Amino acid sequence: MNGPLAGLRGIVLTQAWAGSYCTSLLGLMGADVVQIEVRMRPDSWRGAYDGPLPARLKDVPTAEHPWNCNFLYNSVNLNKRCITLDLQKPAGIETFRRLLPFADFVAENFSPRVLGNLGIDYEAMKAIKPDVILCSLSAYGHSGPWANVPGIGGTIEPTSGMSALLGYPGEAPLNSGQMYPDAVAGLNAFGAIIAAIHHRNCTGEGQYIDLSMQEANLTFAAEAAMEYLRTGRQRPRMGNRHPAFAPHGIYRCSGTEQWVAVACESEADWVAFKAALGSPGTLDVPEFATNAARKANEDALDREIAALTVVLTREAAVAAFQGAGLAAAPVLDAAEVANAPGLRAREMVVEVTHPETGTWPQAAAPWRYSRSGRPPVRPAPRLGEHTLEVLAELIGTIHEEYDALVAAGVSGTGPPD
Amino acid sequence: MPSPALEGIRVLDLSESASGAWCTRMLADFGARVLMVEPPGGHPLRAEAPFDGEARSIPAQVFLANKESIVLDVASPDGRAAALALGARCDIVVSSFAPGRLAELRLTFDAFRSPSLVMTHVTPYGMTGPLANERGNELTVAARSGWASINGDAANAPLRPWGHQVAMCTGAAAYAATLGANVHRDSHPGEGQEVDVAQLDVMVSTFAPALLRGQYTGAAGKRRESADLLAGPVPVADGHFALTISRAHFWRDAMYTLGLPDLAEDPRWEASWYRQQHKDEYVDRVQQAMRGWAKSDLFEELAARRVVAGPVLTMEELRANEHLNARGYWTEAGGEPFPGPPYRMSGTPWAVHNPIPAPGAHGEGWDA
Repeated sequence: MNGPLAGLRGIVLTQAWAGSYCTSLLGLMGADVVQIEVRMRPDSWRGAYDGPLPARLKDVPTAEHPWNCNFLYNSVNLNKRCITLDLQKPAGIETFRRLLPFADFVAENFSPRVLGNLGIDYEAMKAIKPDVILCSLSAYGHSGPWANVPGIGGTIEPTSGMSALLGYPGEAPLNSGQMYPDAVAGLNAFGAIIAAIHHRNCTGEGQYIDLSMQEANLTFAAEAAMEYLRTGRQRPRMGNRHPAFAPHGIYRCSGTEQWVAVACESEADWVAFKAALGSPGTLDVPEFATNAARKANEDALDREIAALTVVLTREAAVAAFQGAGLAAAPVLDAAEVANAPGLRAREMVVEVTHPETGTWPQAAAPWRYSRSGRPPVRPAPRLGEHTLEVLAELIGTIHEEYDALVAAGVSGTGPPD
Repeated sequence: MPSPALEGIRVLDLSESASGAWCTRMLADFGARVLMVEPPGGHPLRAEAPFDGEARSIPAQVFLANKESIVLDVASPDGRAAALALGARCDIVVSSFAPGRLAELRLTFDAFRSPSLVMTHVTPYGMTGPLANERGNELTVAARSGWASINGDAANAPLRPWGHQVAMCTGAAAYAATLGANVHRDSHPGEGQEVDVAQLDVMVSTFAPALLRGQYTGAAGKRRESADLLAGPVPVADGHFALTISRAHFWRDAMYTLGLPDLAEDPRWEASWYRQQHKDEYVDRVQQAMRGWAKSDLFEELAARRVVAGPVLTMEELRANEHLNARGYWTEAGGEPFPGPPYRMSGTPWAVHNPIPAPGAHGEGWDA
């Protein structure tokens, strides 16, 4: 079986992370996702046409085109086909209109004005495909005074309340290590589209989904929102700490950048924790005797624990804590995640072969079905790789017609001529 | 009033984690009827800090809203039998039990004897693999997924995402994956199945760009060395502000706005990768110029020039935010204000009808 969405198709105009991630997840669930890109304005996650190749691709002879070799683009566009169409040219938009009847869903993350300017807003799409599902992901949604304010993950993080919540105790607000609001928007739009498909299956009706990245992220901050609504308090930044339990942290181990994460969620955990560290006297003091006391003296507690873990290897610390039945884990970096046995065993990380970049481990679909299966993971498409294939399959385009589109600057591959 | 997208779907929620609870909260918000099975001591989230002035758990008010509640000790023969009978009458069962515990409780998919059932497992490390029965939580999943290795700053420890972000991401993915099984059932009537969604897998999925960056470059990403403007918010006159510049015209217009025309006009700074590599030549000057601005003035000025930028907003500011209020984001449940929907579906409503239920308040009418 090839995934629960096998037989469904998206014709999508997604780019960067949020939109591309959403539609890649739909592809990983079995939908045929046809992504439309424009040669004149390549997806920002493909990078500039003359951008540098990543270090380890410089000696890969097939890695010829930087725009097909960007780790950003290639990480979030698995299981798609890519066609190029310049929708600002009459032949481009006409081709889009002919493709649309073959789409169950459309997704896009342009600025709100773009679809209307192209003459393909939801009403226009509905006129062509009455039960179409259109999902728009935008910075601030398609209505309201900020509708046309531009935004990206790095600016939605502060304006959704997220940055004010992320950081170390008593220190400045932070953005996440990557543009987390995009992932949040992508995950939400993904579920929204499937819910809309189910609704269409039941009723025959399509619909329009307006996802504001600000709102999707604010809803993910609902705990802090609720705390403000009920108590008037702005939740403080807590670092790795837990509002109720201590210890709850990431502690340095011996060696360079070696860290262990460990949490105690009960008094029994605390007893096991101390035993795992060899029952040191520094922890067996009244200041740490109860959870309330540990919370009240958490700075001192974390210092004493760090003094104990720093002499252990990360592996020894994890083994001791897990052996004691605690929630504990090593802090893995990207290289270690790529090779983590648990992730390989579950085929969450798999080797993906890309025609230009070669074979590299990548994150696959984060679910498994007992009946529907998971379709094979296919690499991110090269720019315009599938144009003729898709146009021939869906609307019967022949070689000469494709050549004419290329000659008119509507389609093709690589930088504009 | 149009019908919600998931009208007619019945869900038995056996989960005892925030991840499972967010999945079923979304199912309920979009129209499914969700019966939450609480252990005799109540759902664990009810005991989780922080609390409001009436000693109600804040996380519980978020995660458990919009559901019905029945109290069952599923470890007892009667409780188990009741759970199985209820589950067999539902379309979807959501569980957060690790595989060992699930087998011990004899609440596996097969035990429900309902081939059309969709049973979704939401666990820290999944139902298979070497970690399946290990304890895990927000902290350990952040550590194992790679997230902590690039989050925070280099002078401090690796940093987990705040609060229950792992649970929210996992719940949203589990919601989608559950509905995927539902769509399969739309086209294959009577075909239920099990869906296995791991917190770790979901966070690895959201870590995908950094994961592949580490492969292509040969250098795993690190935490930021300094809190400069390329990394996120920096101080302004009345708070913090993110000026995350990507395109060339953002740079040009932002530099003019900040009164730094020489930076605006120098063509070297047009390329994003060049700005990244030579940031030491300008970040101090730009940040110095930003300190003179109030965050809302700078946001307004830059927005008018269509430059991406964002002030760090607190919940107090977001509650009063004109844009969110114009869109009607904030809502109400049980006569109290409530955070709103993650997105709007034009044909099918989202709603929080009920705040958190009292334990065991429901269960009537579920045996039909």
